[in-house]
Amino acid sequence: MSRRYDSRTTIFSPEGRLYQVEYALEAINHAGTAIGIMAKDGIAIVAERKVTSKLLEQDSSAEKMYILNENTLCGVAGMTADAGILINYIRESSQEYLKIYNKEPPLEHIVKHVCNLKQGYTQYGGLRPFGVSFLFAGYDDRFGFQLYTSNPSGNYSGWKATSIGANNSSAQTILKQEYKDDLDLEDAKKLALKVLSKTTDSTKLTSEKVEFSTVSLASNGHVQLKIWKPEEIDKLLQESGVLEDTEEDK
Amino acid sequence: MSINQIASKYAYKSTVNQELTDYNSTFSPITTSIDNLSPLISIPPINQPTDFLRAHTDDETNPDCSIKIAHGTTTLAFRFKGGIIVAVDSRATAGNWIASQTVKKVIEINPMLLGTMAGGAADCQYWETWLGTQCRLHELRNKERITVAAASKILSNLVYNYKGMGLSMGTMVCGCTPKEGPTIYYVDSDGTRLKGDIFCVGSGQTFAYGVLDSNYKWDLTVDEALYLGKRSILAAAHRDAYSGGSINLYHITEEGWNYHGNYDVGPLFWEIKEKEGSFNNVKG
Amino acid sequence: MDIILGIRLKESTLFATSKAFTRGISVLKATDDKTIDLNTHNMMAYTGESGDTTQFAEHIKANVQLFGLREGYDMESSEIASFVRNQLATSLRSRKPYQVQVLIGGANNEGEGFLSMIDYLGTRCDLPYAAHGYAAFYTMSLLDHHYKDDISLDDGLRLLKLCEEELTKRMPMDFKGLNVKIVDKEGIRTIDF
Repeated sequence: MSRRYDSRTTIFSPEGRLYQVEYALEAINHAGTAIGIMAKDGIAIVAERKVTSKLLEQDSSAEKMYILNENTLCGVAGMTADAGILINYIRESSQEYLKIYNKEPPLEHIVKHVCNLKQGYTQYGGLRPFGVSFLFAGYDDRFGFQLYTSNPSGNYSGWKATSIGANNSSAQTILKQEYKDDLDLEDAKKLALKVLSKTTDSTKLTSEKVEFSTVSLASNGHVQLKIWKPEEIDKLLQESGVLEDTEEDK
Repeated sequence: MSINQIASKYAYKSTVNQELTDYNSTFSPITTSIDNLSPLISIPPINQPTDFLRAHTDDETNPDCSIKIAHGTTTLAFRFKGGIIVAVDSRATAGNWIASQTVKKVIEINPMLLGTMAGGAADCQYWETWLGTQCRLHELRNKERITVAAASKILSNLVYNYKGMGLSMGTMVCGCTPKEGPTIYYVDSDGTRLKGDIFCVGSGQTFAYGVLDSNYKWDLTVDEALYLGKRSILAAAHRDAYSGGSINLYHITEEGWNYHGNYDVGPLFWEIKEKEGSFNNVKG
Repeated sequence: MDIILGIRLKESTLFATSKAFTRGISVLKATDDKTIDLNTHNMMAYTGESGDTTQFAEHIKANVQLFGLREGYDMESSEIASFVRNQLATSLRSRKPYQVQVLIGGANNEGEGFLSMIDYLGTRCDLPYAAHGYAAFYTMSLLDHHYKDDISLDDGLRLLKLCEEELTKRMPMDFKGLNVKIVDKEGIRTIDF
């Protein structure tokens, strides 16, 4: 039955489903996990990079973490190529907003904005939806630190802690148990790595497999966006103690 | 559709105008934007329609110009206790030539609304007739008579779309609705739109203002008001070379407009001069 | 020539605009209002090419209101000034630019006064007091002389009275008096002057 409807993104099936959108969501459920945790003084995002071959030249630069503007960064789960288009779009529209209002766009504004584009691809003919979910982390004057996710259907939602990609439901179960409202950024960083280590399919976390970024406020009140370097991630993994934990679990 | 087309479709849009354009292109059959309201008028394939028009129509700088547009008018409208009085002359001039002495300068938009005509006769006639169509469509769509404010705004938005392309209109949209009471809006081809109690428009406006302002009271009776309207146009017809012919008088109340006759300026002048003992500069 | 005057005070902003609407040699209206409320705490006074002025003002208001609906909070003064400047600069490079000069003012989130002056070329200047047109020639020297930072509303109004007296005395045409508006944290209000 679905064959008549799943090749068309724009057409509902008799059961009222949009197959292409569901397939896109499913594709993301197989992509590397990304976990975001908001603390009172910052946000930590951690993502798992799937290494496909030992022979593959390891690009040391982050491919799942992107800085979008002066106060926002994001983590990606899904097709990196699709993400590239959207990230470029967000960066351009952020600059456009800055040009017009002489102010960084509020975080929710850019989330809403890119979701409008995503939604368009579930409705207009001859197109496939973007196979990407995002974790947006940022800070603005009105609402302080904020964490959002968006998915290929064009829906978005705000969270204290959440996860997208493979094993996101088990990650969220752990987050539900371990998240506390008075978490600070240090705790959030450790918790993020811990949850990732517990939910990942790979045996041992290394900087090759992990990407990490944080949002915080500098002492002068400016927003500090940081995408961590491999050496820093290794050090963080050591300090966090998740490496021992995983050994014990096994 | 290419990525670029998609992106530009959803690209950052900051203005309501662009929003409306998108909205209309999606839902055009049911919206009533200016685009849909106005018929398409071809513009001559030249760089500056204004310059072209001026070069061929301005008889002041070029007496041999090939097209002479009918200009020169006195029109007035004022609000008072008993409603609205609208009075106009009937002369059309093209350069120094009196093209007609029997022009109808009040356009009966519908049984409730009147528009006056000053400036380009064709422009006023065409667009005010068109305005009548829009007002009727408004009634059909909304099951309610259009307000004078809305009607005048349709016209002013329309002329604003053609701003700088040579339209020449100075008009008063007059009417009476339950919401607004008797209302006058002045609309001209610059895109100006003003609500007011008293307006005189045209080359003879100053002469009409002179008589009208000095004798105007809110508590005028209908007969007094009709006479004042007639008298003010007569004053302009007497002093302004480009105004004259005859006077058309209208009175607007809650029930709609009433025509109060046509008065030839020739006999009227002598009649009023004798009755008032005025116009003593003329010996007769 | 229209009078468009603005004075930024400590906790409010004052606007004064002439009431006469002149076309050719006739004053068509003596109760004209050359200002528009953009949202609860911001307004704009405008002058320039007739037709363009009101169309532009309504365009800006529509967009400021739209922003409020979409984002769930009202635009603040500096954002509005940036937006208006951007619109004028865009318009200048179009086939038919808006020939409009504006003053934008209001009370920002901290309850401080704000005043910005923008011309049709898109030149923006945030100032303590500003005027467009001939009014500037008469009033700027007065304001230079008497204006102080952190001036109170009463002192601001006294200063404005001084400006009005000078304008009435020296301007060659009757401008039919001034329309005076105050914007502060309470909102926008018109006062008898």
